[in-house]
Amino acid sequence: MGGFDWEVIETSLPYLFKVGMVFTVTLTVLSMAGGIFFGTVLAMMRLSRFRTLAALAGGYVNLMRSIPLVLVIFWFFFLVPYIGAWILHEDRPHPLGPFYSALITFTMFEAAYYCEIMRAGIQSIPRGQVWSGYALGLDYWQTMGHIVLPQAFRNMLPVLLTQTIILFQDTSLVYVISATDFLGAASKVANRDYRLVEMYSFVAVVYFVISFGLSTLVRRLQARIAVVR
Amino acid sequence: MPENLPGPMISIRGVSKWYGTFEVLADCSTAVAKGEVVVVCGPSGSGKSTLIKCVNGLEPFQKGEIVVDGISVGGEKTDLPKLRARVGMVFQHFELFPHMTVMENLTLAQVKVLGRSKDEAVDKGTKLLERVGLAAHRDKFPAQLSGGQQQRVAIARALSMDPVAMLFDEPTSALDPEMINEVLDVMVQLAKDGMTMMVVTHEMGFARKVAHRVIFMDKGQIVEDLPKEDFFGKPRSERAQLFLSKILHH
Repeated sequence: MGGFDWEVIETSLPYLFKVGMVFTVTLTVLSMAGGIFFGTVLAMMRLSRFRTLAALAGGYVNLMRSIPLVLVIFWFFFLVPYIGAWILHEDRPHPLGPFYSALITFTMFEAAYYCEIMRAGIQSIPRGQVWSGYALGLDYWQTMGHIVLPQAFRNMLPVLLTQTIILFQDTSLVYVISATDFLGAASKVANRDYRLVEMYSFVAVVYFVISFGLSTLVRRLQARIAVVR
Repeated sequence: MPENLPGPMISIRGVSKWYGTFEVLADCSTAVAKGEVVVVCGPSGSGKSTLIKCVNGLEPFQKGEIVVDGISVGGEKTDLPKLRARVGMVFQHFELFPHMTVMENLTLAQVKVLGRSKDEAVDKGTKLLERVGLAAHRDKFPAQLSGGQQQRVAIARALSMDPVAMLFDEPTSALDPEMINEVLDVMVQLAKDGMTMMVVTHEMGFARKVAHRVIFMDKGQIVEDLPKEDFFGKPRSERAQLFLSKILHH
């Protein structure tokens, strides 16, 4: 076994970051954007006075939040090609590759969590704000778009970012579909060179530094952006 | 009531509203003519705020009819946003949009609802801010203003839509005493300019000064609906007498 081998880390740095971390960050950012978008739509549905819409969104959110993420990743990875084939009227499954499969999975999965955050955010806006929007002649979408959602989003920004930090860590689960994210890249090097301690320690430190750093930023942001009413 | 007026601007006929089995409005009927100022008063929980919110459809009602400027509020085909755009409303807690500047508060609906250009909207906003004495505050955020200033901005915001009538829902009851007059002054001026107004308030000084009629509500009913002189002078229901004695001699 020998001592702690720094060299294996150093030589694999370009691969770890240029391939692995780029995958991880791209997946995180795109899933966040998609998740917040669909999460907001789901939140509006859950708060809708149309019972069917509310029940549909509620069912979806409860389903996603009750299934382990790994299972959802598997599920989408194996299922989405068949859905793709069905939509495109092809005979054979339509493989998407690990990245798009993961992107769809995380967007759909995180949407359930972002939904609950946005729902709390929308509910935190006093009813009078909606009334005054309506009283000025704004319709539902204008009132939502110009008055409720901007305030809800701002109120919830720290929580949304905290959820994104969790998402950043959770993307490492894509190793189950053999995607080369940051952890996956490190894992490949670790197994090839039999340097598991070095690689997994290094990966842990990097995840910690990034996540903790971002959490600290979020706390500062939280103090700064609170909307004064 | 002012003379030579056409049909009522706001007409409320037999309006009833229930929360479950609790009746908040019981067969309310009244009318506000064009240019008329009507003050609605009554103890808390009497339904006066609910009634005024029914007028622009913010609160639904189960029975009766409300017609504003010829359009039925409860009608199935009524374009409520369009109707509301023509009726200004001022709330107890101002409800300025906290994430927008004063000027943005004034221009948003002008641009989005009336389709005015940004420049037109800003011109209009500037004039109205001058009218309520707040032109210097146009780029501030609501939280930087006092309650009285915020309420004056809210009045300017409602006026920016060129409304045919204005509804006020306890516009001074969330204000510190020293700020009440600056808001009432704006409202008095508005009344003198001939604006049709329905005002829920306990400010009897305001009622004496500019109201044409006073409505007294209790337990969801319109108990009194009298010309101002009669309301403050002649004999009336015991409930109204009791209420007046409480708020006038405390």
